[in-house]
Order: sequence, then structure tokens, then C-alpha cells
Amino acid sequence: MQDMQFDLKAMDREIKLIEESALRLKTLGDGIEAVEKNVDAILSFVYLLKRNISDIIE
Amino acid sequence: MSSSGQERKYWNPIIETLPRERLREIELKRFREVLRWAKETSPFYKKKLQGIEPEDIRTFEDVSKVPVTEKEELREAQEGKEPFPYGHLLSVSPERLSIFHQTSGTTGKPVYFPDTYESWQWVVEVWCYILYAAGFRTTDRVFLPFGYNVYIAFWQGHYAAEKLGCEVVPGGALDTKGRIQKIKEIRATALMNTPTYGLHMAEVAKQMGIDPKRDLTVRKMICAGEPMPEPTRLRLEEEWGADVYDHIGGTEPGGWGGMCSEKKGLHVIEPHFLFEMVDLETMSKPIPPGEKGVAVITPLCRRCIPLIRFNLKDIMTVIDEPCPCGRTSIRVNQISGRIDDLRKIRGVFFTPNMVEEVIRGQFPEVTEYEILLTREEALPVLTLRVEFDPLIDENSYKELRNRIRERLKLRTNLTFEIESLKPGSLPRYTLKSSRFKDLTR
Repeated sequence: MQDMQFDLKAMDREIKLIEESALRLKTLGDGIEAVEKNVDAILSFVYLLKRNISDIIE
Repeated sequence: MSSSGQERKYWNPIIETLPRERLREIELKRFREVLRWAKETSPFYKKKLQGIEPEDIRTFEDVSKVPVTEKEELREAQEGKEPFPYGHLLSVSPERLSIFHQTSGTTGKPVYFPDTYESWQWVVEVWCYILYAAGFRTTDRVFLPFGYNVYIAFWQGHYAAEKLGCEVVPGGALDTKGRIQKIKEIRATALMNTPTYGLHMAEVAKQMGIDPKRDLTVRKMICAGEPMPEPTRLRLEEEWGADVYDHIGGTEPGGWGGMCSEKKGLHVIEPHFLFEMVDLETMSKPIPPGEKGVAVITPLCRRCIPLIRFNLKDIMTVIDEPCPCGRTSIRVNQISGRIDDLRKIRGVFFTPNMVEEVIRGQFPEVTEYEILLTREEALPVLTLRVEFDPLIDENSYKELRNRIRERLKLRTNLTFEIESLKPGSLPRYTLKSSRFKDLTR
């Protein structure tokens, strides 16, 4: 990586926390479309963050 | 700008500057994952990949042992099979689908390609890499002079530009003059269109008394939908006074490569894709950089309809030099032809791109053209029909036709009949152009 310092592990931890939190919210909002579908959207972006950041960690 | 005030160059500086070996490791790992996913969830791949175990894929040599997927197989896997209309390709339950697209059907019955919300976001994400490399930023007002519909064309670009923070202006339900007026009225700074339509818009703008370079504010253009030889790209830059960038993609894999500010070839969006080049003859042996081959691609993170080693049928070459932009991904030259259009005429390999290179690179007098391949007494005959700029004196047509014939002979080693037609006789295309008509088949 070109002279760039990023704390990938710290970023990965935050991504996992967002995922865990989103899943907890989905459970709490079970039966409310407005919660379930918005959480699904959040999880889609979590998927991208994992592909863009988490997967890079060796 | 970053918080430190430095100009940002990359959509994702971590991935885009990773050492090549690391990129390849991630791709190999993801290839095993997508192979496993396809075998477990796609009825088509369950059958096709019998006997192939993901854990046995340890090297890139192992990858080349996995069979290539052909477009015809995708059609067969859908036709008459459930769930309608996606058949045996679908890897998720139909209730999860959120968007429909289909191939153009240029080479046969269309193939239907849906996405879940998640897989569509990934398709859009890849286009963010492409647009960012082409310099699209939050300061851009992007106009899309295109009627979006069932094809994937420009939907990805639209959503990616929006995600990047550009201001996106859909220009669908307008005719060409209306679009030019709108570009002027709103002072659009960037366009997304096919190369053919970019040239056509410039032609119509001039007829309206508008010089795109002088009177409009478009400073960048990204092209999609058809191969763009370098002379065509340069001609577009000249006509519009803008930086013009190529991109490669298709309905099945999504967009998978784009030009950076260096404009020397296209970067494959690694490690979101595994890109391979195989030889033209056997379609299996990997070929070294610099040699012409056929591109084979595996999208590594699109789980709705997985694709394993998809034969793109694009003929291209890999550039074996690091890019000054700092991106470490593989670079390829612009598509030099399509396997479907490749012909052997009087013993010589011919692709329509050869004609485009000559016409767009050397004859600004030609506004539109069409190539016909016919047969006379068993011998193939190539005819080039051209339309000249209406401002050109008709007395110079004969000399122009002769020069075109000479230059084409030099480029292709074939002799063309040249016919000049009245301006406006040939079709203008907004999506895929179809300038090569093989009437021998």
C-alpha cells in the first residue's frame, strides 16, 4: 500500500460491531417491515465493507 | 479532498494499491468461496461442476482446470426451467430479488439477470471504483443521455455516480436535440453514453449551431455499451473538449474494468473479479502479456447468480507494465474485437474494429458508416458504406473514397468496395451499434 497507514484491524472490529448491532435490531424489530428492510439494507453495505476492508487483513 | 487536505486519487486506497501477490491471494480465496457457493446453491453449477472440489483449487493453474462457462449454457439453463424466468441459474429464493435486467439478445435469446439488493449494491460498488478512477467527483453534474430500460446499461453508472456524491440527471425521455439543450441549460460537467452516441450528439449539436467544445461545459465522459478503439476515444475528446474514458462490462459480470487518468488501457477491478486471458485456439491455455487472447472473468462477490470463468468473447491483450497512477491491478488494452465478429476473409483475419480505427482515426469527414460482408460467385466481398459530413464538397467524394480504400487495404490487407450515401441514411444508435452486417450467414 502506497505510504498510507490505516488501522485495518480497528476498522474490521467496527464493521463487526455494526453487523452485530444490526442483527440485534432486526431481532428486536421482528415483524416491523420498516425495521427489517432497513436492517437488510444496512447488512448489504456491511457486506461491501467486509469485501473492501475485512477481507484484506492477512 | 481528504481531511488532511490532500487530493484523493482512489475510491479504496487499500485495495487499489495492494501488492499484486496479495491481490492474487485474495482472488484465489474468493474463487474457492464462489465455487463452493455455486455448487451448493445453483442447480446449473451443481451439475456443471461435478467432480470439482473447491478445496482442490490451490493455484491459478488449478483455476484453469475449472470449465469455462459459455453464454449458450446460461440460455439453456433458463429456457423452460423453474423458477421462471431465471431457471437453474438462480442461487437465492425469488422473494429476495429486487431488480431485473436482461442481455440484449444480439447473439440469441436474451438471458435474464436479476439481483438481490445486496448483489446489486456490489455491482454498483464496482462502478464506483470505475467512476472514481475516471475523475468523477462530488462537484460533477452528470447527465445520462439514455433511455434506461430492461438492459443494465447505465443503471450501474447512475447509481454509482449517486453514491459517489455526484448530482445525477437522468436524460432518458428526450430526443437528441432535447438532450443537448438540457446539457447546455443545466451546465452538465460529465456524460455517460456509448461512443457512437457521443459522436452523434456532437454531430447534432453542430447542426444546432452549438460547438460542444466551446459552448458546452462537459469536461469528462465515460463510455460503455460497445468497444471503443483508441482513435474513436481521441475523436470524442476532440469533439467535446473533454477527457473521455473507456469502461468494460456486461450484463452477466457487471462492469469489471475502467480507465484511470493515465488513459493507457483499463484497470481490472481486482480483487472483486478474477481475470484470465486464454488463447484464441484452445480457449484453455493461459497466454502471456502482450499476446492477443480471449478474456475470461469470474465476478467474486455477486451471489445472486454466480458466474464461474465466464467467456466474455472479447479479444484483448494484457499490459505488462505498472501504471503510473499507482493502481496495482492488471491492465488490459481496449477490446480489439469480439470472437462473434471475427471472420477469416480470403485467408486474412478481420474484425470490424479495424475499420473503426481507420475511419475514426483518419477520416473526420466521415460521420457514419456501415460494413457489409456479402458473397459474389462464392467469393466474399466487403463493402463500406459511408456518410460524409454535409459540409464536405461532393466533388471531393471520389478522392475521399479512394483514400479510404487505400488506408483500409493497408490496415486489413483486404480490398473494400466504398459507397457514399446521403447524410442521414444510416441508423444512429443510442445503445449497441450494429455497423457490421454479415449477409453471408
